[in-house]
Parts: sequence; C-alpha cells; structure tokens
Amino acid sequence: MQIVVIGLNHHTSPVTVRERFAFADDAIPAALELMKARGLVEEGVILSTCNRVEIYAVSNRPAAELQQFLVESRSYTEAINGEIFVHQEPASLEHLYKVACGLDSMVLGETEILGQLKKSYDLALQHKHTGARLNKAFQNAFNVAKKIRTETNIQRGSVSVGSVAVELAEKIFNDLSNRNVMVIGAGDTSEKTARSLLSRGARSIIVANRSFDKAQTLAADLGGRAVTFETWENEFTQVDIVISSTSAPHYILDRAKLVPLMKLRRNRPLLLIDIAVPRDIDPEVNTLDEVYLFNIDDLQQMAEGYLKQRREEIAKCEEIIRQRARALLEGLRRASTAIEPAAFRPAHA
Amino acid sequence: MEFLDRDYFKLAVVFYGLSAIYSVFVWRKGFREDNRITYILMALAFVFHTTALVKRGFSLEQCPVNNIYEAMTFISWTMVTAYMVIGAFQRLRFLGAFAAPFLFAIGVFALMPALDVRSTTPHFVKGWVSLHASLILLAYGTFGLSSIAGLMYLTQEHDLKFHKLRAVLSRMPSVERLERVTNRALLIGFVLLTVGLGLVPMIVRENPSLQVKGDPKVAWSIFVWLLYLALLGWRWRFSAGGRAIAWGAIGSFCFVMLTFWGFTLLSPVHN
Repeated sequence: MQIVVIGLNHHTSPVTVRERFAFADDAIPAALELMKARGLVEEGVILSTCNRVEIYAVSNRPAAELQQFLVESRSYTEAINGEIFVHQEPASLEHLYKVACGLDSMVLGETEILGQLKKSYDLALQHKHTGARLNKAFQNAFNVAKKIRTETNIQRGSVSVGSVAVELAEKIFNDLSNRNVMVIGAGDTSEKTARSLLSRGARSIIVANRSFDKAQTLAADLGGRAVTFETWENEFTQVDIVISSTSAPHYILDRAKLVPLMKLRRNRPLLLIDIAVPRDIDPEVNTLDEVYLFNIDDLQQMAEGYLKQRREEIAKCEEIIRQRARALLEGLRRASTAIEPAAFRPAHA
Repeated sequence: MEFLDRDYFKLAVVFYGLSAIYSVFVWRKGFREDNRITYILMALAFVFHTTALVKRGFSLEQCPVNNIYEAMTFISWTMVTAYMVIGAFQRLRFLGAFAAPFLFAIGVFALMPALDVRSTTPHFVKGWVSLHASLILLAYGTFGLSSIAGLMYLTQEHDLKFHKLRAVLSRMPSVERLERVTNRALLIGFVLLTVGLGLVPMIVRENPSLQVKGDPKVAWSIFVWLLYLALLGWRWRFSAGGRAIAWGAIGSFCFVMLTFWGFTLLSPVHN
C-alpha cells in the first residue's frame, strides 16, 4: 500500500475540463465511500477547488482503475490527453506538501489553498475515510506548510495591487482601525483597494465622484458615505488614506493645494494612492513631510518584486519538502508491515 | 584574578561591538529577519554593564557619576536599559541594530584612560548632587534613545518615499510608531532633565560656596534644556512633521555628546 495522488489542475488542464471534474462538498463523502466499497482505495481525501481536483489515496490498485473511476463518476466521455496526472511515492507526498505550501498554486505562495486542504481532510476524517497513512501525511503537510511559512519568504508580501496598498498603509500607520479612507473617482482597482483596506480594519470610506449617483452606489456597497466631487477637499482633515482614480486630464491634487491641507491636518501622515492614468496627483507632493504617494506603477513593481522574491524561495522550499517527505516515508516504512510499490502501475507508463 | 568594574565594562563593550557587527548583516538583509540575536547580544552586554556600574557604585558608596568615564557609562547604561524594555516588543527590537554602534562608540570613548580619574575624595558630594547627576544622565540616555528611534524613522521614511520594496518587506515598525517612540523619549528625557536641573537651587543652598552664575557647564545645561524645549514646542505647538523632529532629535543628541565633556572640563563647579 502506498500514498498516491491522481487528478487534474491548472497546470495540466484548462478550466473547461477541470469544471467537469469538480466535486461538490456534499458529493465527496459518497464518492470516497464508493471508492472504498469497490476496493480501489483504503483511505482517501478529495480536494476540489477552482484550480484542481485531486484524489489523495492509499491504494495498491493500478492507476488506470482510479482514473477510470474519476472519469466515470464525473460522466466525462471525451478522450483524456494528459489532463489527468498521477504521482506515487515519494512524488505523491512531495506534491501534497507543495500544494499545502502554495507552491503549486496559480499565485505562487498563496495561502487560501491550505485552508481548502484542511477542509477537505477534515471532511474525509469526519466520515472515517482516512487512516494511519493519510492522517500522518496530511498532518505532516500542515506542519511543513507552517515551517515553510516561518522559515522562508514564500508567503511574504502581497502580489495584488490592493494588497500591496494595504501593506504600505500598515508600514505608515500604527493601526488601521481608526483610519478614514477616501476614494475619489471610480474603478475596479480603487474599489478592490478600498475593500482590502476595509478588510484590514480601516474605519470608514468616503466616496467622491463627478457623478453623485455613482458615488452613492459605491459608498453603499462599501458601507461608507458619498460626497460631491466639488466638496472632497472639505473632508481632507479627517482622511488618512486617499485612493484616486478619476478620468481628469490634469492633476486634481498638487503641492500648492496640499500644503495648507496638511497644516489643517496638523501634519498627520497621509497615504496617497494614485491609480489614475493620466495621474491625478502631482508627484511633487511626495517630497512633503508626512506625505507618501504611490502610483499604479509603484504598486505593480512592488507586487512583482514580491513575486520575484517568492520565486527565489522555491529551491529552499523544495529542499525542505524533499527532506520531510523522505523522513515521513522512512517513518511509514518502519511502521508498516509490507509495501508493494510494484503493484501500482501508472496508467500512462 | 579579580575582575575590576572596568573589566566588566570592557566585556560589555565587546558585546556591543559584536552586536554592532551583526547589525550590519541585519541592515544588509533589509531588517527582514527577527532580531533575536541582537537582543541576546545586547542582553549579555547589559548584564556585564550593570555589574560594572554596581561594582563601581559599591566601591564609591554612591551613584557612580563622578567623572566623565562614569558619566558615559551611566548614559549608555540608561540607553541599553530602555532598549531591554522596548526590545521585548518584537516590532521595536530593531532599535538594537541602530543602538549597538552608538553604544560601542560611547564605550570605546569612555574607556580612554584619561577619563577615569579617581581622586581620594569624590568630586561630588552625596545626596542632592548624586540625584541631580543621575537624573540628568538618565535624561541624556533617553535623548540618545530618541535619536536612535529618529534614525530608524528616517530610514523607514526614506525607503517609503523612494518606493523601495525593502520598506514593506522589512519587519521594522510603522513610521507612525517610530515617530511616537521618538516623541515620547524626547518628552521623558525633557522631564528628567527639568527635574535634574531643578535640584540645583537645593544643591546651592547646601553648598553656599558654589558659584553657579557664569559657570560654563551651567550655561550649557540651560542651553540644552532650551534646545529640547524648543524641539518639543516645535512638535506640539507648530505640528512639525516626523522628519523634522527626527533630525532635531539626532542633531540635538549629537550636540550634547560632542560638547558635554568640553563644558564639563571648563566648569569650575563640576571639577
């Protein structure tokens, strides 16, 4: 018996194929029950997310049988041309660890997958579809994810513009919970950035737009309040973070306008995020004391910098994963009575 | 072989030096790693430093602030004591990376033989004078900490202004927090200095022969007090920004450090 993984993910198949294999949460226990009843697996966990459908199992059956089950259970009638992958030990364990650490994710180092993996494992555990081997493997995977998170930079930093803006805010302000945010103009990115700030505890949102109706709609969506475009400067004394993305062809905020406003604010720190093209805010204002200005290029460069840093950490993470997989397999081999790796033959070998 | 108090202080300076060297690595890594090693090295230095002060104090049977060597060791001890407390908070631990080089430099200077002149009778009288000297030196130590926090503020502010990735990758505290630490240290130091200087009338009452009027050190002390009052006033009354106050804290402390000994030597009252 050994741990195997079979499935498809964003590396091996497009979303049009992946969505055909997706399992709803309530269908997973029954699918695992069926696999066990047919003698295909002794233990099993199914992970089904938007980017992957993977079955982790303890089995000594040929891979072709597991693949057949997967295809039949999803009623997939088209030909399989490499969309479904198979790994056996130690690659299956290494794959599990990589998935847990976010190394196999579309956004390198993302942390959401760990929660999804834990949820899938808990579901299988609750329905008694896991045993000694998978329990050890998954517990070890969660430990490896924690080790990699603390010892490497693979999960440090943000790779979206909105998250980078939040990190910058946290480097400027001691505490976001009593900060007021103003959104001037409208746009997807500014809305996402505002939401990111709110999710990290920013106190309130003020929305200003040339169209008051649009301002009201966005403000209602964000739980804030709207002001007319002509009066946004009046709110400045209370605002700590400004996200600007108007379609104005000229600067709406320059040094001459900002200096007296900063005096009214008693020189409290001010974060300006200028997402507009052409820019809304005169770059000169960045030279003012307590004023921090970032435009869209700055945020994107920081996000790319984070991604580059994450990529540099891959080798270190893979070495940790290899060592831990080897250690676990050694432990499992000592504990188990017999292993017959030859009985498991990949379908495409 | 018995260890003298100066030997313990030399050991403390060695550990400040090691911490300063390690600080270079921490700096080059962009303050990304947890700064436990600096804290440990500084803690070891603190133990030896405290031992040195206690031994000297017991041998004199009073607070050891009687010559320039003792004054320097006391000021630097104040700084490292404050760091031990502040550095217990992980986010502020990087203060050590900035403080270590300062403390090493002060320690090396203090160890110059000519500065540790011991006479058969103490230079100062006990009681109010000891309290006066120790409060003022505590104040200078606190000003030292404010200048270090100011330096950290300027570093972080520079990285943010120039959009360096290091600004977000590092584990340094926010600029607002650093500004707060700088301002609070300035305020605490000013209060200590005010109380310390406020004891002078009592000292004069006990020693009517002391001529404080026209004494260079007394005039210098009043100037330093006014300097820090102006800095605080600039912040609170005129809302000076963080950068201005940080430079003010650093500049003022550098002025104190560079002129302290000169005016002490010129002062008949303090010699």
